Amino acid sequence: MRLPAALAAAVVALAPAVMAAPATATTSKASSTTLKLALTGDIDSLNPFKAILSSSTGILALQYQSLVAYGPKNNEDIPSMADKWETSTDGKVWTFHLPKDRKWSDGQPITAKDGAWTFKAIQTNDQLKQANGSLLSSVAAVEAKDDETLVITLKAPQAPNPGTQLPIMPEHVWSKVENPATFANDKDSVGSGPFTVTSYDKAAGVTMKSNPYYWRGKAKIDGITYAPYKNSDAAVQALKTGEVDLISGLTPAQYKALQNQPGITTNAGTGRRYQAIGINPGTQTPDNTPIGDGSPALHDVELRRAIVMAVDNKTLLDKVLQGLGQEATGEVPLAYPQYNWDTKDLPLKYNPQGANELLDKAGYTKGADGIRLDKSGNPLKLRLMGRNTDPTHQQMADYVKPWLKEIGIDVTTVMKSSAQVNDDSTVGNYDLYFTGWGMGPDPDFQLSINTCASRPNADGTGATSENNYCSPEFDALFKSQHEELDQAKRSALVKQGQEMIYNAAVNNVMYYANTLEAYRSDKFQPFVTQPEKGGVITGQNGPWGYYSATPVGMNTGTGTDEASAGFNPATVIVPAVVVLALAAGGFVLYRRRSVTAGDRE
Amino acid sequence: MESTLSEPVLGGAVPAPAAPPGGAPAKDTDEPRRGGSWLRYIGAKAGGAAVSLVMVVLLGFFAFRILPGDPVRSLADGRQVTPEQMDILRRQYGLDQPLPAQFWRYLTDLFQGKLGDSYTYNRPVMELILDRIGPTLLLTGTAAALSVVLGLWLGQRAAWRRGSRFDKTQTGLALVFWSVPTFWLGLLMLLVFAGGLHWFPTGGMVTAGVRATGFEYAWDVARHMVLPVLTMVAVVYAQYLMVMRASLLEEMSADYLVTARAKGLREDEVRRKHAVPNALLPTVTLIFLTLGGLVGGAVTVETVFSWPGLGYLTFQALSAPDFPLLQGTFVVFSSIVIIMNFFADIVYRLLDPRLRAS
Repeated sequence: MRLPAALAAAVVALAPAVMAAPATATTSKASSTTLKLALTGDIDSLNPFKAILSSSTGILALQYQSLVAYGPKNNEDIPSMADKWETSTDGKVWTFHLPKDRKWSDGQPITAKDGAWTFKAIQTNDQLKQANGSLLSSVAAVEAKDDETLVITLKAPQAPNPGTQLPIMPEHVWSKVENPATFANDKDSVGSGPFTVTSYDKAAGVTMKSNPYYWRGKAKIDGITYAPYKNSDAAVQALKTGEVDLISGLTPAQYKALQNQPGITTNAGTGRRYQAIGINPGTQTPDNTPIGDGSPALHDVELRRAIVMAVDNKTLLDKVLQGLGQEATGEVPLAYPQYNWDTKDLPLKYNPQGANELLDKAGYTKGADGIRLDKSGNPLKLRLMGRNTDPTHQQMADYVKPWLKEIGIDVTTVMKSSAQVNDDSTVGNYDLYFTGWGMGPDPDFQLSINTCASRPNADGTGATSENNYCSPEFDALFKSQHEELDQAKRSALVKQGQEMIYNAAVNNVMYYANTLEAYRSDKFQPFVTQPEKGGVITGQNGPWGYYSATPVGMNTGTGTDEASAGFNPATVIVPAVVVLALAAGGFVLYRRRSVTAGDRE
Repeated sequence: MESTLSEPVLGGAVPAPAAPPGGAPAKDTDEPRRGGSWLRYIGAKAGGAAVSLVMVVLLGFFAFRILPGDPVRSLADGRQVTPEQMDILRRQYGLDQPLPAQFWRYLTDLFQGKLGDSYTYNRPVMELILDRIGPTLLLTGTAAALSVVLGLWLGQRAAWRRGSRFDKTQTGLALVFWSVPTFWLGLLMLLVFAGGLHWFPTGGMVTAGVRATGFEYAWDVARHMVLPVLTMVAVVYAQYLMVMRASLLEEMSADYLVTARAKGLREDEVRRKHAVPNALLPTVTLIFLTLGGLVGGAVTVETVFSWPGLGYLTFQALSAPDFPLLQGTFVVFSSIVIIMNFFADIVYRLLDPRLRAS
């Protein structure tokens, strides 16, 4: 037939032309030193008072500094805007010293007044509390003694440094903004970090340029471009074609597929998140009123311990994550070695036989169908809830169900929307559910959500509890670690707290998933990771990874080129000629066919 | 998602030839081709559309309140947030108000042309929608135009030579594409033509970080459009092909074609001048109906190819849930469907004299 033939001819004709297009486009001028990143998350705002999504806060972390930074080596406190700080003996007054010569990206001097303005702005304007309001809940007063001294007075003594997390903003820019809450801050921004945003457009992405005044020295690259990708498979392809230089958030399958690609290096960084099964110990409001529909059988700690012992965390890690993570101990991941509970001696490690014995001893007898009866004589039936947005939850459920059957517990699994899981877990409408938390370098908040005071109201409002756990001993321990200024002692207390939660068996922490990343090693030298050993490049607590970007052969001028949209007339003319030729050919063909069709009838 | 959004609307608004209130069809027949009848027809259709719009506004508010999930808790999910901070957010979004008060605020805003502020983006919903409707219309409009032309052309060729190899291959091919999942086809295109052959970019609407203008910009956008448009066309053109083919087959048995041939007209003239124009009628309605759905129908393609459009915005709003944004996109999508249905009714009547007479 002629039409298929014509189509085939068209494809043959068009192919070299289109193929030639990007090829000619890539041979443009010398290498620009821009690091191109795939932006797979969504940007809610680039206003540091409002931004809460991780993509946005990640970008802002490159642009704004806090008084004190988390170091690349171990997430330890290191100088940032302040080069020295001291704490009063009662732990309530923190004094930060800002060196004289530091400057904002527009050349204006950085002073303690910028810090005081930022704190006060959030304290006095409810609308500015969205992103960082919680960081100020313990702050009583902030005062700039002079340009170089900032004093923060706290309501109660605390160990976590109050200068580590809040991004400090340039007063000379923001005080002139009419309404800081609605200021987009997405064009030619002024910051103090290594990079500042020059433009943001939902189609063209975010561009940042190096800050010439960054006090650690200007970055080795000219800037960063974030290219929006809503589909991680497309981002992987973009890394292969060189459209982007660095991607993160890979699935294990994508990661393994990229491992053998020429010019690409993969990095499995220690994650900052734990994955667990929450076990409902009986949810209560702050005034001890029981709420939720959790199984009363789970009030028994022996039953909860047996459940933890029946789950093989190692197998889940190997099968579901293809081994790309670490087996877990407590809730603080290995990324924070200062606080990670690094015990080898886990009393509740996988041991189905031990679990069965424990249940036999506790008086849970097996019925005829192999299902145990609870203390009131009913068969032990539990629900396991997961998120339908996370495919690993269903996979894990498929393993967990038979494991629990083995110890005489009948489990039904149900996958729900994320919002529904949030609601149900908050008010205790669950027996077992897959949960996980990402964590900052200081464990204070993570521990705080296990205190009795963090239990929710009956309607789900109020505080957030991690596992609906409440124990006066834990509360006492939380308070002492919160106030302990001696790092070694505080670390010991934090580990003890994790052990307590572990022994209460309200949370079976299974593994810490690695953050899977890949970059063009034919264009960039290895990046600085955080922590130094086995850490991540992207999503750090600080700018170190991107700041360390060094083009390969930067000084020799042999840097490889990237695919650019550089305009080359040939890329238009060749396809245009082909299309015109095809159109003409098609028209002739059409006329001829009309005639022959007529003749045939 | 698209179907859930448009279902209640279509139910109320596809008022085919049903008798609308106030416009008795009997009177229509009495005074066939006079202005009054037209006026009444349009009035009735417009009335139907208006009722549907009111329903949409009501549904837009209440339907999403049934969704599980406290928006503030979702925003706070996994973050360090104090109860005080959550209360502030609830107050800011007006979520501490009783439902009737919230509804009243939504209505008064709506009458001022405002759709509220998005929780997640901290920006007016109207702004967000206007921002993204351009890229979506560009993508879906191009795809729709190409699908219509390709589908109708192939459809009439196939019908005219029913049973031929051309007919069989074309209908077969179209049905294969029609049945293929859109995301799968999109991914395949992406893997082969972007990742494998490097012919086209892997996603987005423009090359990130490049500030192009004028022709250079247009060329950049065009290159980014090729794969998503091809994917949409491949999936959509089949319905035009099938309707056109069926419609022309019906016409082909009509007596007037015998007359036309008897006049000595050439076969392709008979086809082009007589059969095809009549066969086009049913496709007109189809075109308008699908145009309405197009804006919302691009979710998958936009996601696969990282296209900065409305589809993805809606998806984000649903997962939050971001009530103002959901309401806004729902009202906008539904209004487009309703308006397109209204136009379909008008155009159909314009084109088909039989409808005017009966």
